[in-house]
Amino acid sequence: MSEKIFRIVLGMVVCISLFIYGGRVNAADPIPIGILGPFTGSIAFNAEEMKKGMMLAVDEIDAKGGIFGRKIELIFGDTEAKPDKGVAAVKKLITRDKVLVVGGGYASSVNIATSEVCQNERIPIVVAIAISPTITNRGFDYVFRTSPNSPQFLTGINDWLLKVKKPKTVAFLMENTDYGRDGEKIWSAQAKKIGAKELAHLYFEIGDADFTTQITKLKELKPDVTFNIASTTEASLIQKQAKELNFVTQWIGVGGQFTEAYFKMSGALCQYAMGSSLEPTLAMKNPLVADFVKRYEAKYQKARPGIFSSQGYDNIMVLMDAMKRTGKLTGDLQKDRDAIKEALRKTSIELTQGKIEFDKNGQVYTVFPSVVQVQMVDGTPQLFIIYPPERASATYKTPLPWDQRK
Amino acid sequence: MRGKSLSRRGIYPFRDEESMESLFLQQVFNGLIVGSLYCLIAIGLTMIFGVMRIANFAHGDFSMLGAYIALYFIVLVSGWFGWIGSMIVAAIGVGIIGFFVERFLFRPLLTRWTDIDIIMLSIGLFILLENGARLVFGPTPKMIPDPFSHKSIDLFLVSTSVIRLLCFFFSCVAILLLQLFLTKTKMGVAIRATSQNRNAALLMGINIGFIYSLTFVVGSALAGFGGVLYGTTFAIFPTMGAMPTLKAFAITILGGMGNIRGAIFGGFILGVAETLGGNYISMQYKNAIGFVIIILVLLIIPHGLFGGKQKS
Repeated sequence: MSEKIFRIVLGMVVCISLFIYGGRVNAADPIPIGILGPFTGSIAFNAEEMKKGMMLAVDEIDAKGGIFGRKIELIFGDTEAKPDKGVAAVKKLITRDKVLVVGGGYASSVNIATSEVCQNERIPIVVAIAISPTITNRGFDYVFRTSPNSPQFLTGINDWLLKVKKPKTVAFLMENTDYGRDGEKIWSAQAKKIGAKELAHLYFEIGDADFTTQITKLKELKPDVTFNIASTTEASLIQKQAKELNFVTQWIGVGGQFTEAYFKMSGALCQYAMGSSLEPTLAMKNPLVADFVKRYEAKYQKARPGIFSSQGYDNIMVLMDAMKRTGKLTGDLQKDRDAIKEALRKTSIELTQGKIEFDKNGQVYTVFPSVVQVQMVDGTPQLFIIYPPERASATYKTPLPWDQRK
Repeated sequence: MRGKSLSRRGIYPFRDEESMESLFLQQVFNGLIVGSLYCLIAIGLTMIFGVMRIANFAHGDFSMLGAYIALYFIVLVSGWFGWIGSMIVAAIGVGIIGFFVERFLFRPLLTRWTDIDIIMLSIGLFILLENGARLVFGPTPKMIPDPFSHKSIDLFLVSTSVIRLLCFFFSCVAILLLQLFLTKTKMGVAIRATSQNRNAALLMGINIGFIYSLTFVVGSALAGFGGVLYGTTFAIFPTMGAMPTLKAFAITILGGMGNIRGAIFGGFILGVAETLGGNYISMQYKNAIGFVIIILVLLIIPHGLFGGKQKS
């Protein structure tokens, strides 16, 4: 009996001490920032790229003495790219870790859910990667996004389709998520504007591996342009299976697929694929970006910064900039969060993607992706800007049949 | 071929009947290739279930392990020789892992009065293997380099790639070898006997412990072998085993739990049903077809297509 009582008492002591420890805020403690992302699951490696960019930003800020003399601590919440897991993760960050603001995020469907939680809890959230317009068009004042939304992302490509490519027939092959469906909506409208016939709207699920059913159908329809709204793994599997079934089309993606892993996986198979991109390595003329690429490559040996590294880096920098401009942290969580929200609204900072300023919905409107195409240089696939003409570094090449490619 | 050339020349502005026919054949063919990969994974699952009554939720992760073993082997030996060698190495490697998993994890639980322990163990193993693989191999998806660089070939009315055709061939060979093993060898007959009636087999002097190990090793080796083919046709990443596991369960239920012939037919049926369903019904519900089949089979023929009346 006495052992039982002893155990109960011991348990209570442990619990209470945890509470006391957890509740105390020390002026020298690091500032907790919540970062959402699919750190496990099928797109974990992309989240890893975002994380690398973020850690570089944190290192740089800490090296300069941190914010108000305090270091930055990123607390990562795993969304597994699933909305329900994302909501659980963001709630944990807010209630248990008591983070000051939430950044990161990846995958539109998840961010639509998590940003609503943040709005209800009155905590500023700055979404790093996700392009569905819904995230910032619901009139939420605590929600910001440092990534262009899908209409902004696709303006360049739509222009190119209208003025240069002028396809007669198009088809869609996309993820059955908000990312896929939003892209479809925009391109479907553009196809109507151009007068191109929409031959098929085909979906797949994240994590699917076999696309032969869809590609066989596409091969039968022979579209001039196939919009392929997919992430890295699915996009490269589609390229591979297109070759295996001898199907040739102009693939156009949103741009999220062009990651280091994509080029490693698909190699020469992704030749001629197109998309919109903010790849930092394509904007090396900008000294700010060139410097970022240099620092990134110094920190992570043998790694090439991709669009997600740059978006992760910018995300943290925007948060830190806003925090700094609040003047000081009062220690009252809600007051600080509101002050940061107001500061975010006045953001105007030059970063790796370009200038970051938010419109009244919290959507960045000053970042302009370019139209890119994969072309081969000495047997390795590389991205080139092909539109708009003033930024172009190569001319568009029409996809050749597979047996004529080198 | 005939249908395609006509529509390409633009003689028929609409898709003609022959072209529709070739589309159908092409989709059936795609389905058979994918189905053969499902078979390899489902056979192991159903064998282990039949003999040991273990529903192994980590079965697909053995395929993942096989694929990673192959990936590392190919670094050492490149070209098509490396590819074929990697299948053998992966099968042996995963077989060995399977032996230890069975002997030290599942065996001690087999004498318990409830199956819950075993189910929990296999789910735990699934989580452990998936996350362990992410730690050890990293989350980035990889591909087994194709020794034929994804070259496509035309066969009569359908086109496919050399590598897919070879994968199909190798999985059919593996299935045939397994059938021979189960019907022509003494050990194979003992496995089937144990699957049919454990107690009778014990009374006939069959060493049940040995049969358990053997079944688990053969089942895992098949999964590892299937994993290499799966990884060659698709991609390799830590969570790649999850979907095949679900499909394998659908196949096992379709063909009858524990029935190997059922798993073979079930695998091909599911593969073809998915591609045809995707083509003619809706791409969005391609993956759902397997699960609709499970529900229908459980409602209409609860013992599966080849299950017969099962004795517990």
